[in-house]
Amino acid sequence: MMKKQSLLQTLKQFTLVLMIALVSLGGATGCKSKKKLAQEQAAAEYASKVELAKKDLNSILDGTAAWSLAEKEQRFQTIKSWNLEDTEVQSLLDKVEDKLAREKADLERKAEEERLRKEEEARLKAEANKYDAVENYFRSIAAAPDQATANEKIAGAMQLFATPDVPVLIIISQAGGFNDYDRPTTISKYLDYLKDQKIYNNRVQQVKYDANKRITELELIKK
Amino acid sequence: MRKISTIMAVVFSLMTGYSVQAQDDISPERKQAIDSLALEKVRDLSKYVSIIGNKSTPWSEANRVIDRAEELFMAGAEMGVSSLASPEVKYYNVRQYFERLMRLNYDRVEIEWFKIEYVSDLQRQPDGTYVGVITIFQKFSAYDKEGGLVYEDTTKKDITVYVKRKETQIGGRIIGFWDVLLGDIRVKETSK
Repeated sequence: MMKKQSLLQTLKQFTLVLMIALVSLGGATGCKSKKKLAQEQAAAEYASKVELAKKDLNSILDGTAAWSLAEKEQRFQTIKSWNLEDTEVQSLLDKVEDKLAREKADLERKAEEERLRKEEEARLKAEANKYDAVENYFRSIAAAPDQATANEKIAGAMQLFATPDVPVLIIISQAGGFNDYDRPTTISKYLDYLKDQKIYNNRVQQVKYDANKRITELELIKK
Repeated sequence: MRKISTIMAVVFSLMTGYSVQAQDDISPERKQAIDSLALEKVRDLSKYVSIIGNKSTPWSEANRVIDRAEELFMAGAEMGVSSLASPEVKYYNVRQYFERLMRLNYDRVEIEWFKIEYVSDLQRQPDGTYVGVITIFQKFSAYDKEGGLVYEDTTKKDITVYVKRKETQIGGRIIGFWDVLLGDIRVKETSK
């Protein structure tokens, strides 16, 4: 009976050892295949990234990417951060970097040109409007429905001028920085002329003022 | 004055006989500007004549306009006046003509100039003056106090135009300008 019990005990121990051995052996084998799988996955992922990088970089280069410059720059930085050891990708990265630098410079140049254009437009508008007070008087005198209204406007206009004898020059043609003028007149006579002829077909070209901001010389040009 | 300027214009036209552009160095654009300026002076005169003749123009205003109108003319220039009643054409000094026009014995007068155009282009003379002839048609209508038309005619008139380059000093700088002066206004024909 005792012998039978001892044998049973030994069998149990053997089974336990066998199980431990099997588990140990099985675990080692599973670990090895997981590593391989991971390596394969990494390789596949790398290859996919290379392909994606090439695709994106080429589309940036040939201009088919429908991205803004900022998006292209972001994409470029992302691909660069992947540190792909692919010579073709490296070459494409260099080319894209150059292209984006050019595009950026071009965009900045255009933005600067636009800024200057708007600045010039605003300047010209301000320039055109700065003689509005004089121009409005001239137009209203020429369009006055009767003599009394015209005289009233003339009196108002005269307030803008230093004296009734302020010279008025009228350019009839310009060529090569050279002006041809009509016979010079005075502001007093010119305002009466507008009243009589009922037409104002000039525009103010240049004005000179005195210290009191009154006009001392007026240059007009035929439209 | 009338005879002299007529002879001058005709003789110069015959002697020169070719255009300003071909003969001197001003560009066609500048020549065009001078042509337009001379035409504009005649149109200005047209408006002045209408204001002076208008019976509703106050006396002081008419006199002011006469001064402006007179400034358009060369000294001694004359204006021809005709009538359907007589084949004779009378010539008056322009000032005298305007004053007579202002005092015409009608209740209402309408004067309109139309078809204002060059009949002889401005041509450069040896002294640098450009001379041309502009023709105009003047429709004169006079009414009595009842508003009835009592007289009307249409007169074709030729105006000799002189344009000369001059210089003046303004604000310390020399200004070169084209001085347009009108010469005699001659009656060519008068019709109903």
